[in-house]
Amino acid sequence: MKFNDLLLGLLVFCGGVAIWVSALGFTDIPGQSYGAGTMPRAIAIFAGCLGLFMIAKAAIAGTRMPRLELAAWVRSRRSLVSVAVALALIVFYIVAAPAIGFVPASLVVMVVLMLTLRTRPLTALLVSVVACVVIQQAFGRLLLVPLPRSEFLGFLW
Amino acid sequence: MSVVSEAFALVFQPYVLMVIAASAAFGMFVGAIPGLTATMATALLVPVTFFMEPVPAIAAIVTATAMAIFAGDIPGSLLRMPGTPASAAYVEDAYRMTRSGRSEEALGASLVFSAIGGIFGTIVLVTASPILADIALKFSSFEYFWLVVLGLSCAIFVSPGSVPRGMISLIIGLFAATVGIDNPAGQPRYTFGNVELLAGIQFIPAMIGLFAISEVLRSVAAGADMPAVEKGGRAGIFTRQLDNMRRYPLQALRGSITGTAIGALPGAGADIAAWISYAISKKFSRQKEKFGTGHVEGIVEAGASNNGAVSGAWIPALVFGIPGDSITAIVIGVLYVKGLNPGPTIFINQPQLIYAVFIVFFLANLIMLPFGWVAIKAARTILSIPARVLMPIILMFCIVGSFAINNSPFGIVLMLVFGIVGFLMEENDIPIAPAILGLVLGPMLEQNFVTSMIKADGSFLAFFERPIAAGLGIFTIAIWSIPLIMLAIRRGRPGAVPAA
Repeated sequence: MKFNDLLLGLLVFCGGVAIWVSALGFTDIPGQSYGAGTMPRAIAIFAGCLGLFMIAKAAIAGTRMPRLELAAWVRSRRSLVSVAVALALIVFYIVAAPAIGFVPASLVVMVVLMLTLRTRPLTALLVSVVACVVIQQAFGRLLLVPLPRSEFLGFLW
Repeated sequence: MSVVSEAFALVFQPYVLMVIAASAAFGMFVGAIPGLTATMATALLVPVTFFMEPVPAIAAIVTATAMAIFAGDIPGSLLRMPGTPASAAYVEDAYRMTRSGRSEEALGASLVFSAIGGIFGTIVLVTASPILADIALKFSSFEYFWLVVLGLSCAIFVSPGSVPRGMISLIIGLFAATVGIDNPAGQPRYTFGNVELLAGIQFIPAMIGLFAISEVLRSVAAGADMPAVEKGGRAGIFTRQLDNMRRYPLQALRGSITGTAIGALPGAGADIAAWISYAISKKFSRQKEKFGTGHVEGIVEAGASNNGAVSGAWIPALVFGIPGDSITAIVIGVLYVKGLNPGPTIFINQPQLIYAVFIVFFLANLIMLPFGWVAIKAARTILSIPARVLMPIILMFCIVGSFAINNSPFGIVLMLVFGIVGFLMEENDIPIAPAILGLVLGPMLEQNFVTSMIKADGSFLAFFERPIAAGLGIFTIAIWSIPLIMLAIRRGRPGAVPAA
């Protein structure tokens, strides 16, 4: 998804307006004219001016290209599925790791993504198991990061 | 025995040298993993140092820090996933050099000139720290405000792509930095009732998302077909650096001076220093057009500046006990635990110990060379792993790294959100680095602006009333206005061709 300058300028301008409106609810430091809203307002002015500049520049240049250009990967079903799977696997880890533990959750993430990217199943499984144990030992044991534990794999910790 | 001989005797003991070597290996390991930082390496070493004498304790932390900061360049160079915001300044050049088969030259330049910058900073620390610290303390909110604006301006103007797109990136970073309760009025902003967001957006998960996850998504979208890495020559890691030293001595010196001077300012640090140095390097280069396309000149200057700033940050820490960054803050705590009270009296009460610490600084920067060589050789094998196998493993490292910052799954959520944002930004040719710098420096910008405005009772003229602030302010405004004036002059000339 590629936006041209006109559309991007419009988005930035609208973003600036939205930030300005949201900053209206912020309070100042008692007795001062500055406070929580100062920085958002400054960003809003910056964004508004930039958006207007981009719109004007695009209008003067008579931008002809389509306003929304689709990248090559968006037109490929395989690429779309791969990106969706990668994002879904991150969400899966966030949801599943606290319940089933780091080792099974990370194994699922790596094996499924490798298979999606057309790695041979045996290679995917072997590499994932090794990587999973190495990461668990490095972070869980050496760096003492409290990775979610699995009851049946407690010996790893 | 003189104080210096006593200091040497304290350092050159088998136990201390062993601690330095082990810390170097540890720092290298932590720094090379995307998402793990030098601060994390330092924090993890603190409990271990409780059981050590003062000199090995400080040696462990100093060595691990210097090593971790260099090692952050390794994933940046090989995978375009910089370990620190400072490394982001020259990541594009380093990565493109890797793609054209010059990864060893890129990492070698980063290694050698990091060591040079670090040693230069240490020499300044030993010889001129009281003077520099005195100047640094003259910096008030007005000077810091201009310094931050200068750093952010450099990030916009040196980023690849058009200036307006660089500004969009900066706006995204600055806006993300407004999230949380840490603002002048202490009012929650954009937290949507989420308790985790009250603390603001942690820059490490955001950086992992913007750089690493977006890179993983891009690779996945391309069917894990990474562009082939060209075969490089047989030149070693160090051999090309002699050439670079001959070609860019001024750049290395300028980077070291800039880095040390900016690093000595409490709170400014390596991030601003690296960006300003990269911008200076591009401005005065005879080959400006090559910057961002795999040119080593910017790596030389910004790499020296990066580690020069790390050494410079110790100046206010040791002379006044004022931490320049999170690492020196931790170390000041360790110094107190060990009975070494930082401040002017440290040079009078325990001179042999402080000289020993100085020797450790030199050793830490020198030991970086052999350890860095090994790390570069080992890390280079990453390039031979197919992307379809490598990317899922990197994704897992990113997830664990984001979790490890606060030991909370919320870090992974942030990583995911910023990963998608970074992916869309890259799709639209919006550079990522200004967003990172905006996120890191946003709170400093806000705090110094609001403080200054309150002090000046709303008068903008106060930003130019102090000599250093006026100098920095005029310089910053010149950076913004000179290109516009030049453009206007060029357009005004008879026969000038209007820009497309």
